[in-house]
Formats: sequence, C-alpha cells, structure tokens
Amino acid sequence: MSNQYYEFFCPVKVIAGKAALEHIPYELTGMAAKRPMIVTDKGVRAAGLLDLVIAACEESGLEIVSIFDDVPPDSSTGVVKEIAGIYRSQKCDSLIAVGGGSSIDTAKAVNILVSEGGDDIAKYSGAGVIKHPLKPFLVVPTTAGTGSEVTSVAVITDTKKSVKLPFSSSFLLPNAAVIDPRMTLTLPPHITAATAMDAMTHATEAFTCMAKNPLSDAYATSAIKKISKSLLNVMDNPKDSDGRLELAQASTMAGIAFSNSMVGLVHALGHATGAICHLPHGMCMSLYLPYVLEYNLETIREPLGELLLYLDGPEVYAATPSNRRAEASISALRKLRDELYKRCKLPRTLKETGSVTEDQLDTIAELALDDGSIMFNPKEVLLEDARAVLKCAWA
Amino acid sequence: MFAKRIQPMVFQARRFYVELMFQVMGRALQAVSEIDSAVQAEARALPEGFLFEMMVMPDGSKLIVEHIGNGRLHYHGDKAPRPIDLSIQFKHVAHAFLVLSFQEKTAVAFANDRMLVNGEISYAVRMTRVLTRLETFILPKLVAQRAVKEYPASLHLPEKLISAARIYLKVATNFVETARAS
Repeated sequence: MSNQYYEFFCPVKVIAGKAALEHIPYELTGMAAKRPMIVTDKGVRAAGLLDLVIAACEESGLEIVSIFDDVPPDSSTGVVKEIAGIYRSQKCDSLIAVGGGSSIDTAKAVNILVSEGGDDIAKYSGAGVIKHPLKPFLVVPTTAGTGSEVTSVAVITDTKKSVKLPFSSSFLLPNAAVIDPRMTLTLPPHITAATAMDAMTHATEAFTCMAKNPLSDAYATSAIKKISKSLLNVMDNPKDSDGRLELAQASTMAGIAFSNSMVGLVHALGHATGAICHLPHGMCMSLYLPYVLEYNLETIREPLGELLLYLDGPEVYAATPSNRRAEASISALRKLRDELYKRCKLPRTLKETGSVTEDQLDTIAELALDDGSIMFNPKEVLLEDARAVLKCAWA
Repeated sequence: MFAKRIQPMVFQARRFYVELMFQVMGRALQAVSEIDSAVQAEARALPEGFLFEMMVMPDGSKLIVEHIGNGRLHYHGDKAPRPIDLSIQFKHVAHAFLVLSFQEKTAVAFANDRMLVNGEISYAVRMTRVLTRLETFILPKLVAQRAVKEYPASLHLPEKLISAARIYLKVATNFVETARAS
C-alpha cells in the first residue's frame, strides 16, 4: 500500500473571463447580500478600476453602500478596526475586496470582525480559531501573482506590538474570486513581471516541495504553462487582454496549488528579505527561484525535470535527455528572468536590487531559518546552506 | 474474525506506545538541552518560561517542556503549570504512532497535515529542529534516516554514541527519580 496521503480543499467559485465583473450582482444577491462594502486602495481607485466594479453593480441595481479606499501596502490592526466600524455604521452585509494582497488580506480580517464581533482582531489570530462561516465575501484581484483570492490565510500587522499576526481558517476563503482581464490591463511592466514570477514561484514550489499532491500538481503545471506562454507576450503588448487573462488565471491556479501543497525555501528567503530590506515579494521570488532550485536539485530532479515540458514546450522537452531536464528547467527560468531584465530591469541578483547590502545576508539567513515555509522545503536547510544560497544570489 | 477480536488490544498497545514515547521524548528533550550546544543555541531564542506541548487530539497523551533559560529545557510530564505557548497537536493517535514509530518523518507529517500548530510558527520550526537533532542522536542511523528529512553528514559515530549514552543515562535517571517521588 502506498504511504501517500494528501488533503486538497478549494471551495472558492472562480468567475473568470470577459465581463466577469458583471457577475458580481448575481453572486451577491444569490447569497442574500444587498448592501456590499468595497475594500480597496488609492492606487486601484486612481487607475479607474473601481469605476468598472461600481458600474457593473449599479447597472444591475446593486448599490455599493460604502467604499474604503485607503488600505496601506502593509495593512494593520488599526485599519481593520476602522473598516469594521464603517461596515457596522453603514449596516453593510457583505464585502468586496478589490486590489492586491494587502486589500484582500485586510478584507479577510474585516470579515472576521464583522462576522464574529468585537474590535480586537488579534484575538482571532492563529489557526482554526474561527469556527463559523463569515459574511458573503467576493474578491476581485487587480494583480496577477499573490493568489490571495484562493488562500485561507491573511497577515495583518499589529502596530502596537510590532508583530505580524497570521490568520488561518478555511472560513477566510472568499465565496467567489472574480477574474476579469480589465482589472490587470493597466498594471505597469515591472509589477506585471514581478507578480507573474511570484505566481511562477508558487507553482514551481508547489510542484517540487514536500506536500505536493496530484491535484495541486495539475494546477501548478497548468499555471506554469500559462505563464511561460503569455508573460513575455504581455510584456511586449501590455494591452493584450487574452494574455492578461491567462496570467490572471495562472495566478489563481498557482494560488490553489500552493495553498494545498505549501511552498519552500524561496519563500522563506523571500519573506526574510522582504522583512529586512523591504523589497517587493514578487521581486524576491523571481530573484531566489533558480538559486534555490539549484540547491534542492538532487532532491527534486524528477519533478523539476517534468516541469521542462511546461516551461519550454514539448519540442524542447523531447529533445532534452531525461537526465538533463532538471538543469534545463532551471535554464529556462533563468532565460525568462534575463528577458524580463531586458524589458523592465527586474533584478536577477541581490546586488542588482540596489537595496540589499552584503552584510545583511547573515541576518536574512538567520530569519529565513525561522520561517514556516522552510518546513516544506524538500531538502534540509541549515544556516550555512541558507548563507550559501544567498551568496549565490548576491551577484 | 480474529483480527476484529484483537483490534481493541492493538489500539490499546498503540496508545500505550505513544504515551511511553512522549515520556521518553520529554525526558530526552530535557537531557539533550543539558549536553548539546546546538540545541541550547536553538532553545535560547525561546522566551524564558516558554511552554511547549506535543499532544494527541482531542485530549490524548501529551508531553510538556519548558524553556527555563540559557537554552535549557525542563520536562513537566503531561501537566502544564501555565497556559501553553506553543502546541503541536496530532489529529489522531494513529498519526502520532506513524511519527513516533518512525514510519513517517516529522516533516512529512507536517506536510501531510497530520499535525496542527497552535502558536508562533517560528518557534514551532525551531522546536522541530530541536526534535530532529534529538532523533539523530538517540536513534540508530538507519532508523534516524527514516525519522528526519536529512541525516547530518557532519555527525560522526563517536559523537553520536557519546551523546546518545549521556542522553539515555539522563532519561533513565529521570525515570527512576520520578518513580521514587511518586
């Protein structure tokens, strides 16, 4: 009997494609919600993306009761409390998050407070604390990378204690993720590249780390194929809405994959680098991915070799001897990073970021060792191993 | 028919084994923190008075250790003097048995969702490294290779044997002292 065991869970309805936003009124009324509140940030509003959502709702007779458009990039307990207060005073009955990871995480946390009661979000921190379904909640992602629309976690900063509070519960998952290509059409090139590489890393780590399973594998490989095929086209033709949709779907698929099979050392190093050097998450992912794959190579040779089919297509896969496919997969990723560097200067090394100094590497390594993702890395990582990977990634 | 009749005994034996292993591991955690500088370095990052628990859900066997300062751990048996700071909980006694009988690596058990972490994740990662270090000392290499993600190449036989002997001696002494005290 096989020793294999896995769990897979994704109850989020995915509404994707042309005129997807126009499904929002139907979805909300189907859950008896009539007074939605939108949680978003100033950038989304300035880009005119909010107008599309509002128009889609109003055209169908659904009034947006309240809009909070001041979610900061690193959301805090104070912001969550403030939004929950507005939600209650305006007698809202549902939430729509429109934005990237921060807006989505903030809306998840707000949903906890307005559903469970109270003003102190910190007391719901941790895994499995929430025991009941929350208020109707839709997510409209405006970046194609985080996959937050299909993950059951949120992270909010407790500014008083200067700690990041993690929240984990399947009840945090939205009822539906609305993926409309119009929402990512105006993403600037460097954000398009960094967020797509974030999704690429989610999928690659999901496929090569310890909790991989057949269902998440299917999502991961499909996401990698879509990103490999569409990313450079979108970089060259930013208004290519079909390509944008492919990237947005890939991000959601990669999100489903990694939330069911976790991630590894790339994320551990990326979280540490983000915390110390304040680099964007997607940039860190793109930067570390090949170096970590090289470190894990002998442990993941077989699955990594399989990825060549999705990274470089069937011809290259067939022409590459099976014992060289893993290395060829890493080369394909490096090639993709070089192309992105040419187009938008997305850094390939820590030195290229201009924001990291060599004397910070030890601190990054130490912090990465305490990151939860490291548990799922297929190869054991000691302090000297993390330092060695960072040294490779330096220049 | 026979299998059905002996099933309760098998379940009983499994529960007893898990309970015994928790008692051995709790004492061994205390012992390894007294002799190994790497474990002490890991444990030093935990707050003083930090209580760590490993248990079987919903209210099964458990082990509780406290960081009493300077990287030293103290085994409290299955009674916590204060609310627990970090709890690693096996969802079922069968899952605990898989890990404690070295049929499933601790890291694989985490990946397979056999366990839940209640508390600060970074401390859970640290305690997992302490457990891994302990297992590499006290288990024969062939068994340890089944229990840990990667057997450390730097751990040579003389160091392993001396450390294991010191840990087992301390565990046995602790068992005797507990028996005398009760």
